[in-house]
Amino acid sequence: MTRRRWGLAALAAAGTGWILGAEWVSIHHGVPENHLIDAVTGLAFLAGGIVALDRRPGNTIGPLMIAFALVSYLGNWGNIQAPVLPLLGVIGGQLGAPILAQIALSYPTGRLRTAFDRAVIGVIWAASAAVTIALLLVFNPRAGGCARCAWEPGPLPSRDAFTTALWVYQRAGFVLVPLFLAAVWLRWHRATRAERRALAPLWVAVSIIAVVYLMGAFASPFPDADPFAYLIWELQGILQVSLPVVFVWGLLSTRLARSAVGDLMVELERPLPPGELQASLARALGDPSLELLYAREGQDGWVDARGRPGSLPRPGTGPQARTATVVERPGRPLAALIHDPALDQGLVRAAAAAAGMTIENERLHAEVRAQLEEVRASRQRIVEAGDRERRRVERNLHDGAQQRLATLALSLAMIRDCDGADPATAALIAEASAELKQAIDELRELARGIHPAILTEEGLPAAVESLADRSALPVRVRADFEARLPEPVEAVAYFVVSESLANVAKYARASSAQVEMTRRNGTLRVEVLDNGIGGADAARGSGLRGLEDRVAAVRGRFCVQTRASGGTRVLAEIPCDG
Amino acid sequence: MTCSVLIVDDHPGFRARARALLVAAGYEVVGEAADGESGVRVARDLSPDVVLLDVQLPDITGFEVVRLVHGEPDPPAVVLISSRDASDYGGRIVRSGAQGFISKAELSARTLAAVLEGNRR
Repeated sequence: MTRRRWGLAALAAAGTGWILGAEWVSIHHGVPENHLIDAVTGLAFLAGGIVALDRRPGNTIGPLMIAFALVSYLGNWGNIQAPVLPLLGVIGGQLGAPILAQIALSYPTGRLRTAFDRAVIGVIWAASAAVTIALLLVFNPRAGGCARCAWEPGPLPSRDAFTTALWVYQRAGFVLVPLFLAAVWLRWHRATRAERRALAPLWVAVSIIAVVYLMGAFASPFPDADPFAYLIWELQGILQVSLPVVFVWGLLSTRLARSAVGDLMVELERPLPPGELQASLARALGDPSLELLYAREGQDGWVDARGRPGSLPRPGTGPQARTATVVERPGRPLAALIHDPALDQGLVRAAAAAAGMTIENERLHAEVRAQLEEVRASRQRIVEAGDRERRRVERNLHDGAQQRLATLALSLAMIRDCDGADPATAALIAEASAELKQAIDELRELARGIHPAILTEEGLPAAVESLADRSALPVRVRADFEARLPEPVEAVAYFVVSESLANVAKYARASSAQVEMTRRNGTLRVEVLDNGIGGADAARGSGLRGLEDRVAAVRGRFCVQTRASGGTRVLAEIPCDG
Repeated sequence: MTCSVLIVDDHPGFRARARALLVAAGYEVVGEAADGESGVRVARDLSPDVVLLDVQLPDITGFEVVRLVHGEPDPPAVVLISSRDASDYGGRIVRSGAQGFISKAELSARTLAAVLEGNRR
């Protein structure tokens, strides 16, 4: 046993002696009270406080519970006719309620979290202190007929003032208890789901005790003279036993949760499907909202099991509040468990330690997926940059060479229309005009192949109609939408149709083709069918392979099939909503 | 009666050739503009019979200019021109309400007259 444990055992022995001794004093002096209930209440608080000190050394709940157990018996010891002890009895009578209130509002961390909590506890302590000081000033033991007792009266002895001070404190319950209940309600309102689950028994218990205290505000401050006051006093004693019980139950429930961590270790003995670890940890810790993020290798940032970027939560309060427990391996972050702040930190770390190897493996999977995602995004950016460059080149051709050639055509037309040119010159000009027209047409076709202006101007259906119009064979186009789609989607779909129709014209020996474009559930489906000889293969043709790459770059699906009825079917499915 | 024409195009060289070509053919070129907004303003001020309008302008598109010009009382006939082909604009030319379209390289007194007579789009 450690020295600390020995210390706690000594404290337990001394506390038990203090409580049982106090009850013996009460019995010896014939104090009318239920000594069994009184002793059990004190011993329960002492035991709960010592267990709390043992389990949570830095937490003030343990010392507060022990303090409650000890100060509650100052009044009993005050029955001994010795100097000072009766005064301590007077003080002890006012300290129990504020200590209980502080335990209730600071459970389980031992800290008062909000300014309102601190204000409520401050007001309760201030009221207790004020009444205690007043009682000490007017304390008059001889007024009760104790002419020979050793008790010293206060500086302003007055039995009436003493009674009035006790009445005032009793009636202050009308204000103090509702204030306390308001603080409990606010904590409930702001609590996370896990906090509510964990703290519900305590809050129910303290609320019932608070209501009994409120009833006590109607009663006399002298339980021995008023049966109703006595009933309330004993009821408070019985109900107060529930507080240490609930607190110890809280500790035991943590132990139960630790056994769930044991179950987790058993579960992790067999390989988990990728991404399943988060669900296992959520089950083990009893927090369905738990998320698991993994640290990136050699760079800042976090990703989930699917490699998607994530971020750690900011500190906050309320039902949506989240906190992150970072799991580290020699000096570097490995993963972060994002969970309800009410979860026991030790338990979370125990679960993370139990899942250590699995976390390492999942992190590697997540890293690979994140890199794959980056490659995919990079490919998409490259294709989009290519499309932007195509649009720029087409625009430059339009604004530059095509404009100059058009102007040149007008100049030649003017020269041709002038009178006086000899036939040879006129023939040369006509020949130059024809050559120029040919150049303009070829340049226009080149620009259209780089990026079709109609796609920018009118969108996909019109651009595909235009392709069909210029096709060497009859093409039927059907589209079930008119709305514009994102530029990269329109560009990819257009080039699928354009390349496919070019292939049909070149290789398929088809007499007709058909283009079907449908938009369903966020996906654009583009299908090009022909009635030719079939046999097209994306693996062999560089054009089709290029299309496959372009479609994949926008996270789409591409396939080429020879139809059973003859001909080829090219199908591209492209996500088009965000 | 002489037909008055306003040329709206952002290429000075093309405007100069078009002006010379049309004047030689007997049209009266009453003004020029290098962008869409000044084209709308000059059309309002000069009230030409015809606006020869480039589709691709530096500020607003020719289609937008047609809409603004047609919003004025007694609007002129608007003929769209471009170095691109009419097919590059799909149905927009028809929907714009313009009188017609002429490819820049094919601009002549004859093609303009044909469009104005409603024989060419």
